[in-house]
Amino acid sequence: MTTTMPEVRESAPPSGKPVRVKRGGGGVMSSTGLYIATGVATFLFLVPFYLLVRNALSTDAEITGENWKFFPTDIQWGNIGELFSDETVPFAQSLWNSAVVATLHTVGVLLVCSLAGYGLARIPYKHANKVFYAVLGTLMVPTAVTFVPSFVLVSSLGWVDTYRGLIIPGLFSGFTCFLFRQYFLGFPKELEEAARVDGLGYWGAYWRIVVPNSLNFFAAMATITFIQGWNSFLWPLVIGQDPGSWTVQVALSNYMTNQTVVFHMIFMATAFSILPLVFVFLFLQRWLVQGIAQTGIKG
Amino acid sequence: MSALSNSNWDRRSVMRAAMGLAAAGGLAACGGNTGRSNASGSGVNLTQYFHAYGEAGTEQAIKKYAKAYDKANVTTQWITSADFESKLFATLLTDNAPDLFEFHPQIQMIRSGQVADLTDIVEPVKDDFNPADIQSHTVDGKIYGVRMIDDPQFFFYRKSMFEKAGVEVPTTLDELMEAAAKLTTSKVKGLYLGNDLHNVIHPMIWSAGADTLNEKNEIAYHTDGVIEGIKKMRKLFTSGDLLLGAPTESWDPSSLNQGLCAIQFCGMWAMPGIQDALGDDWGVFPFPKTIDSGKQSVYNGGWSMFVNAKSENVEAAKEYVKWLWIDQKEYQEDWATSYGFHIPPRTSLAESATKLKSGNAAEGVRLFNEFGHFDNIGWTQAMITSLEDVFANSVRKDMDPEAALDKADAAVNRELKKLFG
Amino acid sequence: MSTTKTRDLARPAPAKASPAKPRRGLRGSPTFNFWLFTGPFLIGLTIFVYAPILWSLWLSFFEARFTVTPDKFVGFENYTYMLTNDDFVGSLVTFTVFAAFIVPTTWALSLGLALLVNRLRFMRAFFRSVFFLPTACSYVAASLIWKMSIFSGVRFGLMNTVLGWFGIENIAWLADPNPPWYWLVIVTARLWLQAGFYMILFIAALQNIPDELYEAASIDGAKPGWQTFWYITLPQLRATSTAVILLLLVAAYQAFDEFFNLLSKTTWGRPPLVELYYKALGESQDYGAGSAGAVILTVLICAVTLLQGKIMGFGRGEESK
Repeated sequence: MTTTMPEVRESAPPSGKPVRVKRGGGGVMSSTGLYIATGVATFLFLVPFYLLVRNALSTDAEITGENWKFFPTDIQWGNIGELFSDETVPFAQSLWNSAVVATLHTVGVLLVCSLAGYGLARIPYKHANKVFYAVLGTLMVPTAVTFVPSFVLVSSLGWVDTYRGLIIPGLFSGFTCFLFRQYFLGFPKELEEAARVDGLGYWGAYWRIVVPNSLNFFAAMATITFIQGWNSFLWPLVIGQDPGSWTVQVALSNYMTNQTVVFHMIFMATAFSILPLVFVFLFLQRWLVQGIAQTGIKG
Repeated sequence: MSALSNSNWDRRSVMRAAMGLAAAGGLAACGGNTGRSNASGSGVNLTQYFHAYGEAGTEQAIKKYAKAYDKANVTTQWITSADFESKLFATLLTDNAPDLFEFHPQIQMIRSGQVADLTDIVEPVKDDFNPADIQSHTVDGKIYGVRMIDDPQFFFYRKSMFEKAGVEVPTTLDELMEAAAKLTTSKVKGLYLGNDLHNVIHPMIWSAGADTLNEKNEIAYHTDGVIEGIKKMRKLFTSGDLLLGAPTESWDPSSLNQGLCAIQFCGMWAMPGIQDALGDDWGVFPFPKTIDSGKQSVYNGGWSMFVNAKSENVEAAKEYVKWLWIDQKEYQEDWATSYGFHIPPRTSLAESATKLKSGNAAEGVRLFNEFGHFDNIGWTQAMITSLEDVFANSVRKDMDPEAALDKADAAVNRELKKLFG
Repeated sequence: MSTTKTRDLARPAPAKASPAKPRRGLRGSPTFNFWLFTGPFLIGLTIFVYAPILWSLWLSFFEARFTVTPDKFVGFENYTYMLTNDDFVGSLVTFTVFAAFIVPTTWALSLGLALLVNRLRFMRAFFRSVFFLPTACSYVAASLIWKMSIFSGVRFGLMNTVLGWFGIENIAWLADPNPPWYWLVIVTARLWLQAGFYMILFIAALQNIPDELYEAASIDGAKPGWQTFWYITLPQLRATSTAVILLLLVAAYQAFDEFFNLLSKTTWGRPPLVELYYKALGESQDYGAGSAGAVILTVLICAVTLLQGKIMGFGRGEESK
């Protein structure tokens, strides 16, 4: 194997072969059937997004009216302004907080968990297995109950209302560490051994050889971690006491559970809470497929 | 710089970055505190928790009162209702707990030492409070909270729909069921009790001539009348005349305002909103008699201020409670009548509040006085939850009411034993 | 990060050999390096994960109501209380039912989508994005769209509107447990959110199946279609399928958000975490009993995982690659 990781085939098998092979579920249905099935699935998957946008740009009277309207008669662009000028919920600030928190969360998780995953996978140590099981064990404990002790602990550090409190306690994800370990187990040994012969220690080999050759996987994990960071709710809710430190999910819950329900505001807020992720996604998903193809969990 | 030292520096910086992240202060540089607003010069800082009232202007009002106080810098946290309890109870375990907060009187907060004794500030004006509001905050002769507002809950109905369907205002549960049936059309349901029906549990019990607990703090809800009531509620639930799955809960009058139902169980606070939406096309009536021997009833809920007993500034917090909720009558009246409608617990204010003197508001006050039942401080959250489970099991599902009540008895007795021995 | 300067090191070859040797003792020591790599993670794990777990364990032996620093030791009372509590035991049944629904359906749907997308010639990236996009949504957001718009129990809900065209009465999807429509709501929400992610796993796996297998099968006379799917594709996806099923089970066990948001205050449809939340975190604040429940759950899930590990051999690093 060479220094690059195996590339994932993005397209059909290389041409020039005499036999035309249908891959996967090939032939189970005709092309027409294939596109019809895809069309139906696409339709169903997009319905929630359609409702989101429709409701966000309607008036409440139209949403709750007696007759169903597929599209708002007058598109209420003003709803966007209404959302961002709401004095009681600092929505723009919450988007910014979420961006900061999710970004730092991602960087931190990748750094800490990838190192640990590599250590567990590749560095011989007689108690490594015990340590690994100790990490794995944390996945079994339901978080709903350790939640309050965690909060009391973090609060006693004085981290309430700070980015520290929002980010650091979430960095030590046993699951992410586990995935990195699985991935590194499959990383070609020859590469590192060559590096070690060159006189690089574990540390040097890791940063100079392993990481640069694992960027796909890092990108995949970054995407997943970023989503988690962006979408987490319960922790930011109790840590973010002051509206200035709310994340977008907390701001969103403010619209959802208020005593008075204003439909178009709820849906507009939801739409804006999803929008940034959609962009991140469309941008990163290419690496996601490739990265996941290289994890330990593959066929 | 030589290549060697350069590469060493690289390695070290990477290491530092890795360690720095794990170390506690690592992220302080990346932003630090996102900021509680800091104290102005006046010294003491107090934090208070409020659940988010639905009416426009309420948050600004609470902050306005706080700003007018000059002996301490009071910060308000305005927390959405669904998250209020988890957030309040979680923070009460920590140093970040609020110095004062609003809640309902429940004895376990007193037994576990969470709330401070406020007897000395309430005692001098005790006679000006509705006696029931004093009693519901008193344990062993000490008063633990100051009532801010009383919120009677009853039915709101559309007069025009009643006329059209030829329905009279019901006085018994059977009549209510008939009315709901007659009022139901393809677009409008007859009755809305909330998606979980929880708000009518207590009125249903009182209207059956029973109570939650008796004076000796023993179970008083397990009666034949209550069982009959549960069976009727089950019938109502399955009749198809009940609005279910509405997007808003029953404390929000939207379902009535949007014409989804003809009758809705809601609270006095909703009156201004309903008036705006429906003009004069509405009226109110109390929860009807569950059984013929019962009596109509109204639940007088409400919110009270409590002082966190573990706060560093108990005295300052008490000062503030006294200043706002005992001395500043103008603010108290503003709070009770300028946004949603509430009944001021202060007798002198309740008598002078002009907005509550006419129309449906006056009728609401009458129902409050005539049929009202107040909170029982010994009836705690765990017990309330037990009865909610009874409704979930026997009204929304078809478990035998007797069995469901037996199950509740076990839970309530466990709780009573822990509280009263 | 400074990973690009690899060449720098190769250059001063003679200078490197001598200083490297003395340092080799520490730098080359596997034990030192093991702790160097895992140290930051393990320190954090100890403080922010293990400390709260141990705290909970300690709480489970105390009467801890409205406090997390209790002083009344009660032995195993909380455990007997939880184990004899119908609701808690019932929540395990709920979890089983839920897992029985969600695991096979998500598995089948995500595999189906992967097969579809993998066969597409045109706009493959577009369709992959469409199916993958819901992964970006939070459970909070999805619950909201489901509860307020699709499965709203009133006339302006989408499902009720559609049913209305066929003259069917409004259905209270979430409020009325008979028939248990709430499962439809919960399962569809979770399917929508999750299927895209597992689809990606399957797409990755499908692309790793060597062409030669299909060619060989074709030469052997296997008809493309169900036969190749059954005898080649599916067996080749075995490892991925196992992993996906395990991940789905873990996710089902951790299910909280959509139940909490969609089914507030019911006595049904409460999986273990929701049940424990109401016991320990919510209004009743019985941290002792809640923690005991958590410990019981942990023990259960450990036992199941060990058993599954024995059967499927997943999680043992040596075998997973």
